[in-house]
Amino acid sequence: MSVILAGVNHKTAPIELRERLAIAAGQMEHVTRTLLTVPDVQEAMVLSTCNRVEFLTFQPNGAADLAAFAAEYFAIDPQEVAPHVYVYRAEDAVRHLFRVAASLDSLVVGEPQILGQVKEAWTISRSAGAINSHLDPLLQRAFMVARKVRAQTSIGVSSVSIASVAVDLARKIFGDLAGKTVLLTGAGKMGELAAKSLMHQGATRILFCNRTQSRAEALAERFRCAHGAGTGGQMAVSQAVAWDALHRHAAEADIVVTCTGAGEPIFTPAHARTYAARRKHRPIFFIDIAVPRDVDPDVNRIEGVFVYNIDDLQAVAAGNLAGREKEAQQAEAIIAAEVDRYSRWVRGAHAKESIVSLTQNLEDMRQHEMRRAAPRLASLSAAQRDAVEQMTRALVHKLQHGPIQALKRAAREGDLEALAAIEQMFSHGTSPGGTMPLDDEGEND
Amino acid sequence: MYLFWLRAALVFSGIASLAVLPGAFQGSDRWRRFLVPLCIAGVGCNFIGLTQMLSRAGHWVPTSIEETTASFALLLALTFLGLYLRYRAISLGLFALPLVFLLLLPAAVGVDPARHAYEPLRNGWILIHIAFVLTAYAALVLSIVSSLLYLIQERRLKTKQIGGVFSHLPPLETIDQISFRMLVIGFPCMTIGLLAGALIAQQTVGAGYFLDPKVLLSIAMWLLYVWMLYVRGHSGLRGRRAAYLTSLVFLAALTVWVANQFSSVHRFAAP
Repeated sequence: MSVILAGVNHKTAPIELRERLAIAAGQMEHVTRTLLTVPDVQEAMVLSTCNRVEFLTFQPNGAADLAAFAAEYFAIDPQEVAPHVYVYRAEDAVRHLFRVAASLDSLVVGEPQILGQVKEAWTISRSAGAINSHLDPLLQRAFMVARKVRAQTSIGVSSVSIASVAVDLARKIFGDLAGKTVLLTGAGKMGELAAKSLMHQGATRILFCNRTQSRAEALAERFRCAHGAGTGGQMAVSQAVAWDALHRHAAEADIVVTCTGAGEPIFTPAHARTYAARRKHRPIFFIDIAVPRDVDPDVNRIEGVFVYNIDDLQAVAAGNLAGREKEAQQAEAIIAAEVDRYSRWVRGAHAKESIVSLTQNLEDMRQHEMRRAAPRLASLSAAQRDAVEQMTRALVHKLQHGPIQALKRAAREGDLEALAAIEQMFSHGTSPGGTMPLDDEGEND
Repeated sequence: MYLFWLRAALVFSGIASLAVLPGAFQGSDRWRRFLVPLCIAGVGCNFIGLTQMLSRAGHWVPTSIEETTASFALLLALTFLGLYLRYRAISLGLFALPLVFLLLLPAAVGVDPARHAYEPLRNGWILIHIAFVLTAYAALVLSIVSSLLYLIQERRLKTKQIGGVFSHLPPLETIDQISFRMLVIGFPCMTIGLLAGALIAQQTVGAGYFLDPKVLLSIAMWLLYVWMLYVRGHSGLRGRRAAYLTSLVFLAALTVWVANQFSSVHRFAAP
């Protein structure tokens, strides 16, 4: 198995580094194609979210240095990146991928967005022609495992989402959210969920601001239809505002949820000082879930202004995870079983390929020898020639029986050394592939 | 008999001071449920004990240290109780209830309530003066306590240290609201108290009372109070600077109280 996964995430790298490695949606295909040009990388998928940047590759020889690729692509000193990069190979890479897709490796364990993000990355890689017979079945399997974990454990049910963490923090600042104004900048799914939760908790006015005015208007309209009434039947106001008027409206907002792809801070300390003065120092709460960050970290130094970025939310979320170890253990057990199953399948597929190759080679040898002996057998009658043909076939069958049984046994027992030795003996020279049945019952994605 | 009631009040406030700890630090509802009955019992005992003590002294105006602190404890406990019932801000009790306990100590250890027998003390204006000034002090104390809690909560939110022993502090805006409301409630009390005091001084000492150091300090303190309210109301001042301002006014109020030692007007002992 030559699946190799390398990356950084919220556990290994600070946000300052992650935002330098962040890949904008429009850049994903280019990064994927560039990754394919690295020697030995035959298939590749790039996953970039607020919490992680990962490269999933298939390398027959496992020779490509993915950390070096990341440093070179993003023009960062390799020494700076290296301590934060993790590299997983073979089964470890599969396990990590399954855990990521099942949201066990997420900042907020059990949050549902990550599966969609992995699927999006898969779609981009497929359209770039970067995913074929090795990574495709692996990713299909990862999606199925994620669904299985969600269905068989309550990890998603009791999910401590970014949205709920944001609401908890807003309550610690404002208490009752009734009458509060929320400003949502950007159009990220997570920001939308946070805004929705804040409205459910009583926020009565929500402003949408986007560089593309039509998107802000569409979002405002959707909220108007879906959340017209807040808690207690109070009518909620949903309104799109122009990007040019962002800072004017930000001063009106008690809570600013920001998740744009701006690439640099759109809220600076100077802006925040203006808001504080205009608000007569009433608190203002920034929930910055963008990577790179939308809010300059120094904004948090200003009195009455509170800034929580995606990493800060982790600490709060972690505190809310007590009592969910049981679900996490169940989910980990599912992942472990699925990794084992996938590995067996890969070995089985490998053995099948070897058996086909071995059989073909022996048959080729038999036919070659028959052709060579043909002039000497010309005097034989048709019945005699047929008997010779039958005899050589039977001989080949008997000869290949032993190695085939050994291959099957090695695959079943995961004896990779024996598999390699038998393959080498018959040097078929092809790689395994194919479509893996998604589970015992043949469930499909 | 009054000693029995004051000592019962002391015991109740002591237990309430302990009961507030799990409620404030762990959010324990079990202890929270005991808090209100304990406070009510303490306030009731304090009221009965104080009434009997004053009755025995032959005046209704608290003048001695013991009477004043017991009255102050009563007002402080009542204000805390009111705030708790309104805002469920149990954390205020972390500071307010031990203070009530300490204020009750001098009276509960035993005093001679009859030592101040001075005719003007039966005057209703003095009762108004002392009652309102003590209420203003109680409001100021709770405002300072709230400011302190605000600083703790603000620091926790700024440094993102959300867990820990202070995880059950009230929301920042609620604390700020309590702090400002206490100042707003304290101000008319202080004003009425000082006006009543001025009226009594005018009657007993004459126009010269105005030059008394305590009176001058009281006016300065009142002006400081007005300025603080203006600054907080006008600029929306919060947090550290607001806490400093409130502390400044409270310090001024304490100075005014200490100035009793230098005042010829503010002496209730029989001449």
